Amino acid sequence: MTAHTQRTPQQWALVALLAVIALITVAPFLVMLLLALSPPDVQSIPQEMPSELTTDNLTGVLSSHGMVRWTLNSAIYSIASVLVILITATMAGYAFAKKRFPGRDVLLWSFLATLMVPFQAMLIPMFVLVTELDGVDTFWGLIVPTLANSQAVFLMRQFIRDLPDELFDAAKVDGASEWWVFWRLVLPLTKPILATLGVFVFLWHWNDFLWPLVVAQSDEMRTLTVGLATLHGENVTTAELMAAATVSVVPCLLVFWLLQRYLVNSITMSGLKG
Amino acid sequence: MVGTQTKTDTGRAAGRRRRAPDRRPWRARLREPATGLLFVLPMLVLFVVFRFLPIAGSVGMSFTDYRINGQWDPVGLENYSRLLSDPVFLASLRVTLVYAAIYVPLTVGAALGTALLLNALVFARGLFRGVLFLPYVTSFVLAGVIWRWVYEFDGLINGLLVKFGLEPVGFLQESELVLPSLAVVAAWRGFGYSMLILLAGLKSIPTSYLEAARVDGAGTWQRFRYVVLPQLRPVLFFVLVIETIAAFQVFDTIYVMTGGGPTRASYSLVYALFDQGFQFFDFGYAATMGIGLFVVILVISLVQRWLLDRETK
Repeated sequence: MTAHTQRTPQQWALVALLAVIALITVAPFLVMLLLALSPPDVQSIPQEMPSELTTDNLTGVLSSHGMVRWTLNSAIYSIASVLVILITATMAGYAFAKKRFPGRDVLLWSFLATLMVPFQAMLIPMFVLVTELDGVDTFWGLIVPTLANSQAVFLMRQFIRDLPDELFDAAKVDGASEWWVFWRLVLPLTKPILATLGVFVFLWHWNDFLWPLVVAQSDEMRTLTVGLATLHGENVTTAELMAAATVSVVPCLLVFWLLQRYLVNSITMSGLKG
Repeated sequence: MVGTQTKTDTGRAAGRRRRAPDRRPWRARLREPATGLLFVLPMLVLFVVFRFLPIAGSVGMSFTDYRINGQWDPVGLENYSRLLSDPVFLASLRVTLVYAAIYVPLTVGAALGTALLLNALVFARGLFRGVLFLPYVTSFVLAGVIWRWVYEFDGLINGLLVKFGLEPVGFLQESELVLPSLAVVAAWRGFGYSMLILLAGLKSIPTSYLEAARVDGAGTWQRFRYVVLPQLRPVLFFVLVIETIAAFQVFDTIYVMTGGGPTRASYSLVYALFDQGFQFFDFGYAATMGIGLFVVILVISLVQRWLLDRETK
């Protein structure tokens, strides 16, 4: 049977049903976009539809100091976290997968055991710790505590474990240093899984809220999620708020658009959860 | 984590075989453990300082009256006895349980329904899968900001209700409606993840089972009830557990949409913890609430595990 002959009336009914569900799913995004493009006097969509669309809200939001600053902070928070987690988790994953050293299994399982403790249960002592280290309202105070990521270590360890030992042995016979093996063999070989992990870590941090909320308190240090949450009621129109929301979601949609394949495959394979 | 346990033993066996006759000098023999430890070191430091220390600190702080200025005195079990008789904490536990009772069936139901529809589709599956998954890549804050407006009196839903001559509804203003309304937002944002996992589970059911049932005259419902559902059970269980854990951690949408209101009708466990810590600055007591949260989630997970084990026997 070819795909063409499978397009029965039943299949079309299924497509119609899914189309309705898909429309309901994206409706909130469409409303957000429509409001963001509406003139300021339009406050509600079904009753009064905008007669003309404008990009004034979007340009206004993009040129406001707060929004630019928050976007920059979110970008620094997300990108720095991705880079450091990818390197440190690959290093740890490589050691756990291919090296023998005392305490290896105990360490791995104690890393994984921290997954049982919800982040919120550690929030208060983490905040006290970062306060003691003078990390409140600094980038390192925001970023470094979120880098201990057991899922990343476990994922890298599982992937590297399945790579053939012969590859690494051959390099060592040739007298390659461990550092060379890591940069020239391990990192290139793990590229596909690094892309997946990078997408997840980026989304986790870009969408993160509770930790930035408590640790980045000043207006200058706020991330986009925290900024967006505080925009309510402060002399902003619905149109401006939705314009800000639109700006905040663009990187997620971009990442999703470009890397959907990695994201979908890894969820169906390993059950990675944000 | 499902599906990661395959192929795990081949690497280890090969490693052992290769390493057996080690007669190298001690410097060469030390090279491997030393590099192993060095490569783990950065992550190890991060875990010790920002995971193990806070976990220990959480327990330690729960026996003190740690204040914002860093001063504290030991108070023994006072925080725990206060917790168990604190009407605000117990109310937040009740709110969270009700929320979870709405959120989990809603999300898993939506995920299972859409996964079944996608699985039955023979073309354009990737397109619909992508669109339905879309909300998952956005933040709860964004979901909260959009849906806060959707629920408003001059927002999308009430606008449509008024258009059809119905009375507007205070979705976030009425205490009986606020938890279902919040659950819908989180379900909308999150169902795509469980949908993908269930879809993978459905795809792994051998088509020969379904064919055999069809030949035996089983209808669509019977095939679902007696072939699909039993095969899907482990995946469904995994999805139920992670969504339950997610329900007990609800915070972002509440912070954005209701602030715990109206009159604490959406005051969840994590919201109570946040309030104690960052409104009242009662860190010792807030840390105790964190331990309460951990215990509640642990107990619920263990009960779910026990129920599954009992049913499969």
